[in-house]
Amino acid sequence: MTIQIYDPTTEVKGRQIQYQNRPKSLKGLRIGLVDNTKHNSDQILIRIAGILEKEYGAKSHIIRKKKSAGAAPHQSIVDEFKSQCDVIVAGIGD
Amino acid sequence: MTLTSKTHSTEDIGSAIELCYSNGWTDGLPVVPPTAERINQMLEAIDLAPAHQVAFIENRQISVTVEKIAINAVMAGCKPEYMPVIIAAVGALADPKYGYHGPATSTGGAAVFMLINGPIAKQLHINSGDNLFGPGWRANATIGRAIRLIMRNIIGTIPGELDRSCLGHGGKYSFCIAENEESSPWPAFHTTRGFAADENAVTIFAAYAPHQYSNRLSATAEGVLTTACAHMRISAGTARQPQYAMVFGGEHQDIMKKSGWTRKNVQDYVFEHTQNTILDLQKIYMLSDSYLNSDGSSQYALVETPDDLLVIAAGGFAGVQSAFIPGWGGKNGSQSVTYPIKSIK
Repeated sequence: MTIQIYDPTTEVKGRQIQYQNRPKSLKGLRIGLVDNTKHNSDQILIRIAGILEKEYGAKSHIIRKKKSAGAAPHQSIVDEFKSQCDVIVAGIGD
Repeated sequence: MTLTSKTHSTEDIGSAIELCYSNGWTDGLPVVPPTAERINQMLEAIDLAPAHQVAFIENRQISVTVEKIAINAVMAGCKPEYMPVIIAAVGALADPKYGYHGPATSTGGAAVFMLINGPIAKQLHINSGDNLFGPGWRANATIGRAIRLIMRNIIGTIPGELDRSCLGHGGKYSFCIAENEESSPWPAFHTTRGFAADENAVTIFAAYAPHQYSNRLSATAEGVLTTACAHMRISAGTARQPQYAMVFGGEHQDIMKKSGWTRKNVQDYVFEHTQNTILDLQKIYMLSDSYLNSDGSSQYALVETPDDLLVIAAGGFAGVQSAFIPGWGGKNGSQSVTYPIKSIK
């Protein structure tokens, strides 16, 4: 006897995501870096910012720490990045 | 009711179980094949349409519908009457205060600890006594399992992918208990969250494994808590946790009752006696040197406030055992939340 069972997973429906255009060069751009609160994340971000400025010609950088590694950056960080930065570096790791 | 999920045809029950394995839909144990008949029994136990969205998980951009919940509840081995509890718990998962993405994804490896309060706990035979965190009760085993399958199958919380647990623990199969409100020395836990004693509620808490301790040598509240605090003092994963659940077994409940200690007395005592100096925590590499500018002799509390100690009465009546359960992460990342369970249809 044939048995039919139902799919328990989320069935993906097509959806379009609008990505920002990537800059062709970082020259003269302002970089924002999101500190994910993990130990030493600020250290690695400072090094990344240095590389982006020295080797890729970025103009400046700011680093802001979000409240929890498990949550999206809070609104004041988002607002500051939107008004002060051209490119954002975000990532997570332990 | 009309179901809209994709279907798969198999030859028999055995091959249906194997199909669930090969599609990656199980927690490693066999599941009950989700047939239309069984799914509809689940749906008939509640007053919600299959397409109704119970929760939206913001970070994952996932909508959790009644139909998918019912399918996973069947697979977990639930009875239809468990559905109101599962629906309430899934709603709680999407609460920003609980912060689904952090504890579900973190290397920390938290499970969803579920505490059921109110008359429904007895109606559904949710165990609050012997072998509290162990096997033997269908409701405890399958309600918690349903939540884990929902997290896996609907929300994509798959080990090695969006569940990055380093160790995990057994509670990730199921971690569901009821409070023993009859034997408790204190008002039912959910009354501390604004519910009436005769209302039904589920509390969810992103939590590590229970840590058991024994005290057979003291018959005072202070004596039992002295042991608890000695075990808890350096138990935090990162020096401070958002909250701790403290589960008192039967004999220790009696001691609290005879000593006349209120829940607040317990919270205040434990808060005070689980503190460490900053210097001590630095010596054992639980606080970073970013605290070096502070006075090393000042005290550092295990949780932010005494209210962050969730005092619960549950467990068998033979044995001088109790347990504490550390919460996951920090208070900005996740906190326990309590949601109402709508009555059984």
